[in-house]
Amino acid sequence: MEWDKDKSITLTQICLAIFAACNLALDVGMYWAVKATGEDRAAFFALLMISGYVISALAWAVLWRLWRFMGNIKRGVIFTKENYLHCFHISWCMVGAAVTCLLCGIFYYPFIVLFVAAGFVAIMMRVIKNVFQQAVEMKSELDLTI
Amino acid sequence: MEIVVNLDVMMAKRKISSQELSEKIGITPANLSILKTGKAKAIRFSTLMALCSILECQPGDLLEFKE
Repeated sequence: MEWDKDKSITLTQICLAIFAACNLALDVGMYWAVKATGEDRAAFFALLMISGYVISALAWAVLWRLWRFMGNIKRGVIFTKENYLHCFHISWCMVGAAVTCLLCGIFYYPFIVLFVAAGFVAIMMRVIKNVFQQAVEMKSELDLTI
Repeated sequence: MEIVVNLDVMMAKRKISSQELSEKIGITPANLSILKTGKAKAIRFSTLMALCSILECQPGDLLEFKE
């Protein structure tokens, strides 16, 4: 089987579908996931549950944006305002996830690792968004070069 | 300040239509329209050379700087 960019995009979309399935499983099993942390203080347990659902909602937003982004790439629509706005919104969702993880990390230390990871992804997406924004301007210039 | 493209004037002098000119240059009528209406941001030397060759003129006949 020869590998090409269409297969690569399809693989990315399959990965997104797998992540969506994992996210759905987490939504359903959030109670047991939080229980597995060993947290038995009622207030903190509730806080972890709420934080889990907040992060899950942000993850759904990111997954939807990434799905739309990949769909555009597949159709050959690449350097457009819509795509850099996808990157922009994804970065802010990751900032939201990072802040949520930081707050949870106050009383459950492993969340600090997730805070760092989410923060790093947010920065990466901002860089990608800036690159796309420049590319859109360059494309516009090129399209109007006769 | 702007660069004005006097393509319409030269085309009228040489009595050549947009369709015919675009075919001879090798650009789409849409791109020629972008050039004529002043919406172009840049022009390639190859396009300018083709225009000057077909319209039998100098670049200065097509491009004018206005304050």
